[in-house]
Amino acid sequence: MKGKIKQAIARCSADYTEVRIERERRSQVLYRKDKLENLETSSELGGIVRCLKDGGWGIAVFNDLAQLQEKVGEATRVAQLVALHNAEPVALAEAPVIQEEVKAHLKHDFRNVSLEEKKRLIESYNRILLSTSDKIVSTNVRYTDSFREVTFANSEGTFIVQEIPDVTLLLIAVASDGPENIQQGFETFGEAGGFKVALDREEDAANAAKRAVDLLDARSVKGGKYTVILDPGLAGIFIHEAFGHFCEADFLFKNERLSKIMTLGTRFGGEMLNVVDDGYMPGLRGNIPYDDEGVARAKTHLITKGILTSLLHSRETSKKMGVAPTGNARAISYEHEPIVRMTNTYIENGDHAFDEMLSGIDRGIYAIKAYGGQTVFEQFTFSAAYAYEIRNGEVGGMLKDVVLTGNLFETLRSIDMIGNDQQVHGGSGGCGKGGQFPLPVTDGSPHIRIQNVTIGGK
Amino acid sequence: MEGILKTLKEKVDQAEVYHLKTSTVPVEFHSGKLESIKNKAIEGMALRVIDGGRLGFATTTDMKDPSELITAAIASAAFGEETVFSFPMAADPTHPEVHDRAVTDLSEEEMIAIGERVITKLHNAEPEADVNLTIAKAVETVEISNTAGVEVEEERTRFSLWVEAGKAREGDIFLLFAGDDTRFQEDLSVDTLVDRLIRYLRYGEKIVPAPSKKLPVIFTPYGAITLLLPLIVGFNGKSVHMGISPLKDRVGEKVFDPRFSLTDDGTLPHGPRSSGFDDEGTPTKRTPLVSDGIVNGFLYDLRTAALAEATPTGNGYKGGLFGSGGLRAPPSIGVGNVLVSVGDKDENEIIDGIEEGLLVESVLGLGQGNINTGEFSNNVAVAFKIERGKIVGRVKNTMIAGNTYALLKDHLIALSNAAGWAHGTLHTPAIAVDQVNIVGQG
Repeated sequence: MKGKIKQAIARCSADYTEVRIERERRSQVLYRKDKLENLETSSELGGIVRCLKDGGWGIAVFNDLAQLQEKVGEATRVAQLVALHNAEPVALAEAPVIQEEVKAHLKHDFRNVSLEEKKRLIESYNRILLSTSDKIVSTNVRYTDSFREVTFANSEGTFIVQEIPDVTLLLIAVASDGPENIQQGFETFGEAGGFKVALDREEDAANAAKRAVDLLDARSVKGGKYTVILDPGLAGIFIHEAFGHFCEADFLFKNERLSKIMTLGTRFGGEMLNVVDDGYMPGLRGNIPYDDEGVARAKTHLITKGILTSLLHSRETSKKMGVAPTGNARAISYEHEPIVRMTNTYIENGDHAFDEMLSGIDRGIYAIKAYGGQTVFEQFTFSAAYAYEIRNGEVGGMLKDVVLTGNLFETLRSIDMIGNDQQVHGGSGGCGKGGQFPLPVTDGSPHIRIQNVTIGGK
Repeated sequence: MEGILKTLKEKVDQAEVYHLKTSTVPVEFHSGKLESIKNKAIEGMALRVIDGGRLGFATTTDMKDPSELITAAIASAAFGEETVFSFPMAADPTHPEVHDRAVTDLSEEEMIAIGERVITKLHNAEPEADVNLTIAKAVETVEISNTAGVEVEEERTRFSLWVEAGKAREGDIFLLFAGDDTRFQEDLSVDTLVDRLIRYLRYGEKIVPAPSKKLPVIFTPYGAITLLLPLIVGFNGKSVHMGISPLKDRVGEKVFDPRFSLTDDGTLPHGPRSSGFDDEGTPTKRTPLVSDGIVNGFLYDLRTAALAEATPTGNGYKGGLFGSGGLRAPPSIGVGNVLVSVGDKDENEIIDGIEEGLLVESVLGLGQGNINTGEFSNNVAVAFKIERGKIVGRVKNTMIAGNTYALLKDHLIALSNAAGWAHGTLHTPAIAVDQVNIVGQG
């Protein structure tokens, strides 16, 4: 195959050509309630060609690798068409030529675990969820693994073959004590590693179920403004969703006004705020030795002492902004071209203990983990998985339906304490952008305290 | 495909082969400029087998070697779900119009020209707006055959236009989306779509504070998904069977305002989600869900219908609730075209009658809140304040919360007299409801 790829690229008349071929083997076990809903082993083979001709992008996606040469021609043809209509030709920043094979070293290789064994394990977790309480009315337990071999080659001579493993486990319990009151508890895990991350999760399963039941008796929060402490899980999702996406230069670089808001050197938070996107955290889901443009990983300091110090780049955006690429051009599969994405994104440790954060809060909320969230530019909303009220500096009763909302910039400025207990977590989902979901990423943070957060409620 | 089915017939009790071929051409404009053209041709196969009462599933896009696919499906059936359903016997598919020659013939140059026309029109009206858009055409061929005798094939077209217009200024970014997905090119009115964007951009010029109290809210057809999503979940036969839908055991009961009717229709001519058969080979149909406020029925795929002892409604789609098809997911319950009854007032007339309230075009975090019980709790993305029957400006950082079941039962103000397509599946009028909880920051 290597010879054929090199030949197809060599024969191409475009200014820049890249080919990415992907082979994947994956399996899934899915239980809902007492039923096994899916048990599968599937495979994938496909490729993508991206050509730059006179500054225009042309892309072709295909499954039949025998058509590679033809698809290179097709991508070149449409690239030329784009160039005819495009007043602003694209150029790419320089990147070192790399020739490397990156092998995955799995301690407990999930490829050697039988489908039957995977099924039995997931069934056992499902049984724990269901048997924790008679109030558990439904469950959703999903295991996935994927082993990808991605070959990347470009017309500059780069040729990289990477093996990329990914394992996830999702444990959800749904509890109900009547049609008006239905609550969820969940735990999620994910690693770019072996089968181990899915093992020994009995206690986590029990916790998820217990939390769903506890939430039945939780009070609904009253809408209003509160001092809020976010746990590392929710703070990690906040920094990824609300801030991280703002740093993705493809989103900014064609728009002067947005670029102005995100000018390097602008103060976004207090001296204690440091935010990093780090492509090198072995075992974590966002770990990528080389991105999907063949650029090596980097550790990028987005906010340093409260000040914006870098953005995230592809070769295209870094050329435009006159900086070095950061290795953040990623694609979820061969069906997609790379776009600027995060890897492992986190807030660095501060120096406050959790108890210090609590003290001085007369009436606040301790919000933990997230069901999900959404941002459109500077507006964000997140649903906490569960929460506790804070009264006179102490954590009190459980709260449900806690939805946080606000303006990113105001919220970053309102962070007044950062904890010293950072955790970085790879869940079972992933990040979505530009129709590409789910991309394996992780996020993390210590506990953080924010003043004046708007909480939606009844 | 015939060969695969024949091989499987010898090895297992029942088998189904799903074969998908799609060709999609998206043309992308970024910040008003043509950025890329992509030609995406995907082909793959999904197998479901039932052997010894157990279900197996496997997919591949490696069409060269079906033997591995067959082995994987049979291996999965060895330990798979104990199943009670059978693959259906041959039945006449419905034949909605789903194929448009104009779409297959549409050239890349013509698509570029449509995109440029949208951008010129928007820039003439709003020179400051930053415009991103995707215009795409797609042709998909789905072929399903099973050992019980189903052998169906359909070629469907899709034409879509998605436009995002943003205006940024110090401390404020206003972002609007408009888009449509149709099977026929003629059904997508580019001008209507652009006019709506321009109108909303103007409404949004001024930012006004939102109050914190219970007020009437008018959901536009695009915004109505906030209210309708809990229903789409609630009418899913699986939620009903699992006991997590509040509609369980309520067929025949008056659960909604008598003006409210809801229908799922996979057979609608030109409907964006119409097809002759679902992804299990079951002919599609028209299923009334709510008639004049009374609950009528639920949506089923083969599997859930067998478990619940109900009849499949032709709603077994790959890719979940809004089942965007595809190859990799096993079929589950999804919606066809979701149709909401219209009322008798013009949307402007409804606005005229509101003393104080909001007009909501889109929200953030759709599906947040306890959707199974009908709760929604969202930050608005695009919403406008109504005062004394007039739109006075845009509200920001504002939460809206309520319960769909309660609002559509006791607090329905009006349904507008014109329905519009939204999200490639809903055909709904604007829906005005009272007593929505609003939490503003000003």
